[in-house]
Amino acid sequence: MSHTRLLFLSFVIVVAGSARADLVNKNVETVVDISSQLAKISNKVTVENVGKTTLKSLIFGVPAHLKERTSFVTAKVGEHLLRVTETKLSGQDGGFWKVDLRSDLAAGRTLQLNIDLVLSRALVPHPGQITQKEKQLVLFEGNVYFFSPYLTEKQSLTVNLGTNSVESYARIQPVSQSDNKLNYGPYEKVQPFQEERLNIHYENNSPFLTITRLERLIEVSHWGNIAVEETVDIEHQGATLKGSFSRYEYQRESQSGISSVKSFRTALPASAVDVYYRDDIGNISTSHMRVLSDSVELELRPRFPLFGGWKTHYTLGYNVPSYEYLFNQGDVFVLKMRLMDHVFDDMYIEHLITKIILPEGCHSIELSAPYAVERLKDTLHHTYLDTKGRPVISVSKRQLVENHIDDFELRYKFAKVLMIQEPLLVITAFFALFVLVIIYVRLDFSISEEEEHSRVDREHKDK
Amino acid sequence: MHVFTLMVTGRFGARVYVAYCTLYCLGTILAMQISFVGFQPVQSSEHMLALGVFGLCQLHCFVDYLRGHLSASDFQVLFKATIVATGTILAVITGILTITGKVSPWTGRFYSLLDPSYAKNHIPIIASVSEHQPTSWSSFYFDLQLLVFLFPAGLYFCFRQLTDANIFLILYGVTSIYFAGVMVRLMLVLAPVMCILGGIAMSGMLNRYMKDVDASPVILGMPAGNLAQGKQGDKRSKHKQESNFVMKSEIATLFVAIMCFFLISYTMHCTWVTSEAYSSPSIVLSARSHDNSRIIFDDFREAYYWLRMNTPEDARVMSWWDYGYQITAMANRTILVDNNTWNNTHISRVGQAMASSEDKAYAIMRELDVNYVLVIFGGLTGYSSDDINKFLWMVRIGGSTDRGAHIKEWDYYTPQGEFRVDKEGSPTLLNCLMYKMCYYRFGQVYTEGGRPPGYDRVRGAEIGNKDFELDVLEEAYTSEHWLVRIYKVKDLPNRGL
Repeated sequence: MSHTRLLFLSFVIVVAGSARADLVNKNVETVVDISSQLAKISNKVTVENVGKTTLKSLIFGVPAHLKERTSFVTAKVGEHLLRVTETKLSGQDGGFWKVDLRSDLAAGRTLQLNIDLVLSRALVPHPGQITQKEKQLVLFEGNVYFFSPYLTEKQSLTVNLGTNSVESYARIQPVSQSDNKLNYGPYEKVQPFQEERLNIHYENNSPFLTITRLERLIEVSHWGNIAVEETVDIEHQGATLKGSFSRYEYQRESQSGISSVKSFRTALPASAVDVYYRDDIGNISTSHMRVLSDSVELELRPRFPLFGGWKTHYTLGYNVPSYEYLFNQGDVFVLKMRLMDHVFDDMYIEHLITKIILPEGCHSIELSAPYAVERLKDTLHHTYLDTKGRPVISVSKRQLVENHIDDFELRYKFAKVLMIQEPLLVITAFFALFVLVIIYVRLDFSISEEEEHSRVDREHKDK
Repeated sequence: MHVFTLMVTGRFGARVYVAYCTLYCLGTILAMQISFVGFQPVQSSEHMLALGVFGLCQLHCFVDYLRGHLSASDFQVLFKATIVATGTILAVITGILTITGKVSPWTGRFYSLLDPSYAKNHIPIIASVSEHQPTSWSSFYFDLQLLVFLFPAGLYFCFRQLTDANIFLILYGVTSIYFAGVMVRLMLVLAPVMCILGGIAMSGMLNRYMKDVDASPVILGMPAGNLAQGKQGDKRSKHKQESNFVMKSEIATLFVAIMCFFLISYTMHCTWVTSEAYSSPSIVLSARSHDNSRIIFDDFREAYYWLRMNTPEDARVMSWWDYGYQITAMANRTILVDNNTWNNTHISRVGQAMASSEDKAYAIMRELDVNYVLVIFGGLTGYSSDDINKFLWMVRIGGSTDRGAHIKEWDYYTPQGEFRVDKEGSPTLLNCLMYKMCYYRFGQVYTEGGRPPGYDRVRGAEIGNKDFELDVLEEAYTSEHWLVRIYKVKDLPNRGL
């Protein structure tokens, strides 16, 4: 009995863990862009169905050491986005994703798709501490081969460094260095799940800013305005500054503190008005705002330049008109806004909390997010002219990059007649005050009656 | 003082008695609720006078009460006896209390009001505050303008009609004029009474002249009943009116016009002064560049925010006491001394650290357990209220206590007696901690065209000691225009194996 069970189990494992022999990656061209703080990998894959059945989906992955670092995954055929879901392959400890094809792939047919990945925290500053004079060197540990459960017939890899000062790189032949690129390959007959460490140690002075916490507050008002406020905690997570910060060298020498961040550009929606940029101790005066045709570009300069290990905190807010984001039909309203917005190019957010404050009296609230988010408990927010409190919907997510900028949909019901409640409250309050005063001046609280009598007497005398 | 004067001039009555007793009791008790004030109203010498007048009130009323119930001669005897007895008892009690120390003597701040040179000789920290300096004539005019001239006029009007309230105004006005002359800060005390007396003067004069503005003869429209009487009086008044008519009305109109002009100019002066002198925050500075665009110096907030974000929560910052409250509020870090200037010895210790050489200062900084040191330096931008300009006060305060006896002000001057930061400057000054912290790496900076590097724009000189390194400090942060410089105190050298 145990024998058969063991055999059965091993058969299952073998079937599950073994390479699927019905798909073959005929040609893979990988471009790894590590010129900014994020590693962007884009694979152009040509798959061929060499089996007998039609395929509805395929699987690709990343090696185990990059699994935690993967922030964003997309797969496209031409311009059409395919649905990607995370899966597990038993017996393998990498990260895997299943891609659902739009139209089934018949036997013998080939398909070309683009698989893009964005890795965050994959570039590690090495050495971890530098002085102000030194340049920032980072280490990238990737995988040379295309990590997939299928056999790859031909693969080539290009690494885009953005600089040509490379300390060392993995010499996995054939390899050549040209301009700002490293060209690896072509490699023939790459086995499924084959791994070979691609270690590149090079200079990268691009801003290594991490937003440790971004709290986005969206306050919706049915009177025509949506107020957005973002509270940002930002930290420079490149190589930390060792020793002193010399302002003289920073101002005189252009190469001094080259990896520090002086300012960054934030793009706001084109209809943003009343923009404010402040922090705990007041307004920050160092910023420039330019209104462009398709966005409002804000060049934000933190109060001090951010060197490695330094952090800062600020609050940015603006108003947008509600007709662009809030749609309604009768009593049903739909709010379609971005779950997170652009803070700077190639950004990485560790923790995002989005809160949406709806007006009083909204009920039957449903939220649909473009990707998996953690929905926190609904709370109440009390502000001007509130009796019960406004419902607050909170969602939280970790490890986000720029590609995560997408719309969410919030559906709720609100009886339009309830909008009268706010002006009615003010009117009632003033009315009550006036009635009270009217009654009060007609009351007589005098203690003694003699004064009145004496006044009356004097009037009589005068006459 | 007012109640005492009323008693002396014989205007004391039940009304004043009730008012003063209520005010004194309630006021003192409420004031004692504030923890900082505590029991000072009954213990310190400055409050004894109020207490004395309170007692005198009670006596006065008691005497008045008795007077109504006794015969004249009996009363005289009793009166004299009571006065003598009370006087002796009071003197004895006050003497005992002062000697045993229960009632504290006058504090330095009040001594300096009576003797302005007291602070300079004995307590330099009080003398160093710019608001404690005697007021200059120009600042009187700057703050009060027209009221300076209306003040004596108001006093005159008050004297013409002496009432209880006017006596109060006279007393208040005269005493506050004296004190405002001693200390600039007390100009605040003078302002309300100036306004009141000015208003009295203005309204008195206008009252007098407004009647004459409209001096047209009232022949038509006289009531019929008075016609018979009126004809005779009419002739006389017509006479009077005719003789003074032309001049009175014109002069009155002229006078009223001049007064209006004064009032308008006063209003304009006040709004201008408020907008220029009393509204500009000194935390964000601004200046106009050569092409008339405004440059903002937000260095203070920049440096304080850096301190808040990038230093450990329990870091301790040493700076001069002027910036104590700012650092506590904006940088949220512990400081050693702040604007309360509560502990003179502690401030003196900080002054000694700033004025000593690096090694001695390091010993003091380790003793005070300091992590960061903050100085304000205006040499690059031309900001003149920086720490080098305040340095002499630091030296004086540092040398005013026992442990700072080795710090002598004369060491920091040149042999000719000048305070200079260039090559001619005293070597003690050129090697003290404050100098090194302010001018670290400054020797290579070109501040103005046509000047050598390291030219200090406030002192107007090229600094003497240029290329030096700091042994015990490390530059942690300098703000954009070098206004705020923060240094980290290095740990003790590792003498391990």
